[in-house]
Amino acid sequence: MRISTNQFYNQNLRSLMDNQSKLSDTQEALSTGKKLNRPSDDPVGAAKVVRLTEELDKLTQYQRNNDFLIGSLEQQETVLDGITSAVDRARVLTIQSGSGAITDNDRAALGSELKEIRDELLDLMNSKDANGQYIYSGHQSDTPAFSIASTNNGNIISYAGDAGKNFVNVSDNSKIQSTSSGFDVFENVLARLEFEVNPTGTATVNDAQINSQDAFDRFHSANFDNLTPANNNFELTVQASGEVELTNSGTGASYGTVPFTSGQPFTIEGMEFTVTGGVGDTVDFSLQTPEKKNLAQTVNDLYEVLSTPGLSQETYQKALDDTLIGLDNGLQKVALERSSVGGRMNAAQSSYSNNLDLEVVTKAARSAIEDVDYAEASVEFSKQEAALNATLATFPKLSNLSLFDYI
Amino acid sequence: MAANVDLFTIATSGVNASNQLLNTTSRNIANVNTDGYVRERTTFTGSILGSVGQGNTERVINVFAQNQLRRDITSVGELEAFAQKTSTIDNLLASEANSISTGLSKFFASIQTAADDPTNIASRETVIGEAEALMNRMGTMSDYLQDKEEELNLEFSSQVERANSLLENIGALNKKILFSQSGSGQEPSSLMNERDLAINELAQMMSVEVRDGANGTKAVNLTSGESLVMDNGSVNLLELSSGPDTTDKQLELGYNIADGEPQATVRLTEDKLGGSLGGLFRFRNEILGPAQRDIGQIAVAMADAMNSQNKLGMDLDGDLGGDLFTLPPLSPQGYADNSSATLSMDAAFVAGKGTQMTDADYRVEVDTVDGAGQPLTVKVTALNSDGTVKQGTTEQSITLNASGPTEFSQGGIEIEFDSSLTYASGDAFLVQPMKNAASELTLATSRGEDLAMAAPVRLTPASGNLGDAQMTSLTVTNTWIGESAFDGAGGITAPSGAGVSAPVEIVFTSATDYNVLDSGGSIITSATVSGGYNNLLEQAGFNQDYPGYDFSLEGLPVAGDSFSVSYNTNGVNDNANAVKLAELQQTGLVQLSTNAASEPRSLHDSYSSLVGRVGEKSANSQISLEAAEAMQEQSQTWFDSVSGVSLDEEAANLVRFQQSYAAAARILSTAQELFDTILSAAR
Repeated sequence: MRISTNQFYNQNLRSLMDNQSKLSDTQEALSTGKKLNRPSDDPVGAAKVVRLTEELDKLTQYQRNNDFLIGSLEQQETVLDGITSAVDRARVLTIQSGSGAITDNDRAALGSELKEIRDELLDLMNSKDANGQYIYSGHQSDTPAFSIASTNNGNIISYAGDAGKNFVNVSDNSKIQSTSSGFDVFENVLARLEFEVNPTGTATVNDAQINSQDAFDRFHSANFDNLTPANNNFELTVQASGEVELTNSGTGASYGTVPFTSGQPFTIEGMEFTVTGGVGDTVDFSLQTPEKKNLAQTVNDLYEVLSTPGLSQETYQKALDDTLIGLDNGLQKVALERSSVGGRMNAAQSSYSNNLDLEVVTKAARSAIEDVDYAEASVEFSKQEAALNATLATFPKLSNLSLFDYI
Repeated sequence: MAANVDLFTIATSGVNASNQLLNTTSRNIANVNTDGYVRERTTFTGSILGSVGQGNTERVINVFAQNQLRRDITSVGELEAFAQKTSTIDNLLASEANSISTGLSKFFASIQTAADDPTNIASRETVIGEAEALMNRMGTMSDYLQDKEEELNLEFSSQVERANSLLENIGALNKKILFSQSGSGQEPSSLMNERDLAINELAQMMSVEVRDGANGTKAVNLTSGESLVMDNGSVNLLELSSGPDTTDKQLELGYNIADGEPQATVRLTEDKLGGSLGGLFRFRNEILGPAQRDIGQIAVAMADAMNSQNKLGMDLDGDLGGDLFTLPPLSPQGYADNSSATLSMDAAFVAGKGTQMTDADYRVEVDTVDGAGQPLTVKVTALNSDGTVKQGTTEQSITLNASGPTEFSQGGIEIEFDSSLTYASGDAFLVQPMKNAASELTLATSRGEDLAMAAPVRLTPASGNLGDAQMTSLTVTNTWIGESAFDGAGGITAPSGAGVSAPVEIVFTSATDYNVLDSGGSIITSATVSGGYNNLLEQAGFNQDYPGYDFSLEGLPVAGDSFSVSYNTNGVNDNANAVKLAELQQTGLVQLSTNAASEPRSLHDSYSSLVGRVGEKSANSQISLEAAEAMQEQSQTWFDSVSGVSLDEEAANLVRFQQSYAAAARILSTAQELFDTILSAAR
């Protein structure tokens, strides 16, 4: 083929330019460490990198949420531990108060220690987080969870927060509860369930008490009617067959019979009665409305009893029983919450390590798309360098060849 | 026979011929670096007298090679313009600093951090800061694209100017060539070279066809058929005009120029034009316009979703949440052929319809009007950025509301006509909701306290509840004052016209039956739980709009248990709505399809599809450009191998013609000697 002079120069120039531009691309990849320097280098990859980077950013944020969550749960765990040991101590003191040989002075001493425990409990239930927000106030974290009234009758320690809980995202699809409301943990605790003998019965009731709290609790919760008070009245009737029958005065429902001997105790649904009477005599009693007391209030109740001198042994003993059951119920809630906090911490930690795994996988996927393979790129670079060298070396030789030099 | 006389004639003609050949060779050598120079060759015919006949100097050219080269120049011109412009957007999207995706991630991360601890003012301020940064990133990118559009318009006018001067030049050369060729009969090769060069330069700007006319003239047409330069040298010139959007330039061809004004114009299909001009138009229509709208759409979808969710919450001041972003106002532009140039129309985004908004522009045409010239119905067509109808959409025919704005049946845009103006059927307006939205979007608040992180209501179980039922979720679906039960003043009451008073408490009458009570304690309605304790108010017959909240329980309630709903006064530590705000990152918000019923995509997803699309176009255009350049190289080689000057060849010719010159001169001296010999013999 005929080669014109300009054609010769143009061709060489073009291949020089081509080689140089390829070399500069490879050099850019080598110096940035990325083979994906603009979306056009790998459009599908670039779109994926946007998503993978988002994924990584989110994972980073989830880990940060997780750190926050674990910190906050750890604080709650510490508070709950504190409460547990305070209540344990209160329990020991309660049992100590029940020992026979105890003077009014001893009682007062025990009472003042219980007052300290009450204040400690109140303090713990009103714990604040690092920002000075009350942990157990629900969503109203600006106000203390529990406040103590100065009046001296009824429940003086009342809950001032709400039932709000917060959740924290630890992955795209899982949220973990980060705060608990004092309502659930401390306030919503049943005091001892009780019944009361009404004077309307015809038999003489010598004694009526709860003999098995568990059995009675079951009976109470199965039969207490919060809507119709009349349905909470029950009647024991002495039958001709020598048994007593338990019926509901409101609904007329029967709860079975137990053998009856006048003047001898009998037990029905966890209640022990000692009744004197004949066939047709009745005992009326009603289930008392359940009361809720937080732990501090329960401790406070006992403190008040201990600091009141001259109570009858019966009242005193009942107060101790009430306290023990109240403390147990409260402790049960706290233990439940502790295991829930522990469970959430486990979930948070497992999600933390899941996220770490995901992060590694996602980084690897992103790296595979956008990071340069140095070995491959270096080989490519030397190949292109060789090509450019060859062009640079041959071009002047060829261009020096001219017929004009010979004529 | 007068042989010696003939010898002189032959010698003279030989010297002349060699001289002419040397001339041609010298011209070829001298013009080796002249652009567009086509090597020449002088040919001779023998004469009956025995001397050299008339010489003819012609350009050595292959018309097929020339045409092929021109076509390849056109495609390189188009792809070069397209690829070079596209790569600027490509580079813009590659830059980490401008990345909208990084901005979105940071923004949502800051919301999550704030949600971890809603009472922390500093982390709320960070959210506002990140929102500003995100606005900046989107704004910067959108501004950059707007600048590109302006730059492109300048480039259009300069290219059109250049093309017109080339057209005039070609026309003038046609006239000169006609004159010169018909006068001397000799080929005016330099004029032809100049014209070929001009045509090639024109071909670089647009795709043209060239027909050879009589006497060396050439007629130039656009490939689509419109004629540009006629044989007689008259030309039709290009001009730029614009549609309703004045920044959106269109190309027209003016016919029958008289006194510098065309007598008729015809709109050209810009992106079928080819060449650099076609490439630029194609870039605008395929890359720039859609990218502008995509970014606008992401910005508007994000802002609208954040606004909607924020309004469902309660801020740190205890008020119902408001807008976090201010959606930009829309300014519809009238078409040129409207019955009056001053007609106007209002349009706006419909808040809360972000997921329905597409990247479409809309043409709103008045269909029927009443006696007073007020439109009754309009026809709405969804358009692409280049003004063509969006595939997969159908014209919406909309009956306007008697008063107030009317919403499109799809698209989340509302329009309103000015009651003081008189419209005619056929008047049309162009609405471009997304084009500059990202630049015009602003923050509605700079206070971190305005972030509505809390739910506006709370559910309180009565302390005497005996069952173990607990709240699992509290949903807020409407806080619109006057429609929902929220009174906007920290209370829950029925708005006028609600029919029933606001439900604020439910009391179970059995494990599965409950009464819904109002704030006075009167029973509004009774209901029976079916299929779980989910959305108890809905189960009792309330809807999402009123009261605007609902809740679900788990566990087993017993008769007498009650749950009451109240405004979340002092609920500063509530993060329920903040978690929902943060979840918007994963939620489908952007409608990528033209069909509003399709599943919307997440913000990152739609950004990544923009990156992918531009990257792909850019990569494709680079590859096509490389291919076109290779083709051009080949046809240039073909053309050059025929028409290019080879110095070696000319050197050989120089020697050859020098020798033939010397030989012819030698004939002369031989004839002289012969003559002298005769003279001396006769002496």
